[in-house]
Amino acid sequence: MAKAFKYGLKGIKGHLEPAERELLRSLFDDVISMLEPEQRANEDPLAALVGLDTEAREPSDRAMRRLLPNVMKNDDAASLEFRRYTERSLRESKIGALKAAALSLDRDNLVLTPDDARHWATALNDVRLVLAERLDIRDDADADNIHLMQDWAQAEDVESYLALVYNFTTWLQESLVQAMAHSLDR
Amino acid sequence: MTLSVALGPDTRESTQTGTVTSGDVLTAPDVPWNLVIWNDPVNLMSYVSYVFRSYFGYSEAKANKLMMEVHKKGRSIVAHGSKEQVEQHAVAMHGYGLWATVEKATGGTAGGSGKGKGKRG
Repeated sequence: MAKAFKYGLKGIKGHLEPAERELLRSLFDDVISMLEPEQRANEDPLAALVGLDTEAREPSDRAMRRLLPNVMKNDDAASLEFRRYTERSLRESKIGALKAAALSLDRDNLVLTPDDARHWATALNDVRLVLAERLDIRDDADADNIHLMQDWAQAEDVESYLALVYNFTTWLQESLVQAMAHSLDR
Repeated sequence: MTLSVALGPDTRESTQTGTVTSGDVLTAPDVPWNLVIWNDPVNLMSYVSYVFRSYFGYSEAKANKLMMEVHKKGRSIVAHGSKEQVEQHAVAMHGYGLWATVEKATGGTAGGSGKGKGKRG
């Protein structure tokens, strides 16, 4: 069983079983592949280099819309304009955090520096946002229902499995954020 | 937002209003844009509060107050500034996975969080 993250003298320390590491690695990889920008044949390499994406569009997938939201509530045109200047670097920073978190899973001891911890917190958060869309969590009541699923013996279909995975990542992120909040108190 | 495990008493809404000064430099009267954070059922209350503390440098009391406003009212204005400033904040919030938008501070859409300036002044 995983142990809750704890803040101590050497940083934030955690413990994960091999199967839990495998699970997290595949979750991080899944979200990375969702976020990786598609290569376009006629792309202007200079534009790409400065982070400009003239072809960027509001994603049609709900989970992607949650990861890369519009910057204005009621102005799609202005949001799109903004997206063309910012979305590529946002994708890259999210991918960077997910990759850093995945990389630290290779180490035997899970001892996180402040940077590691930040990467882990955002990586887990992005994973949870994607899982929540797949589980159709729309409000707090939905979240409470999913939260009731705690026993792996209950995993009898894809949805119940996803719910258990969601609850595991929620618990892990909560313990990490508590440890990070302690580090801010110092 | 969601609360997954029992949290300590310090995450409940604080009744203190007079001790917060660190973030108030942003509350100049002549800056016309707001950064709005919206509620969602996924983000942890502890995480939202942590982001407000670590990114904006808000005190724990102020961060928790804003977090509870997001949770209870569905949205909260957490920073003010020029359009460029709040857009930069919004991208940072999207990086953290928070649901953030920007809006003009004047006009009807800014409702929901009139409080702040007078109380903390």
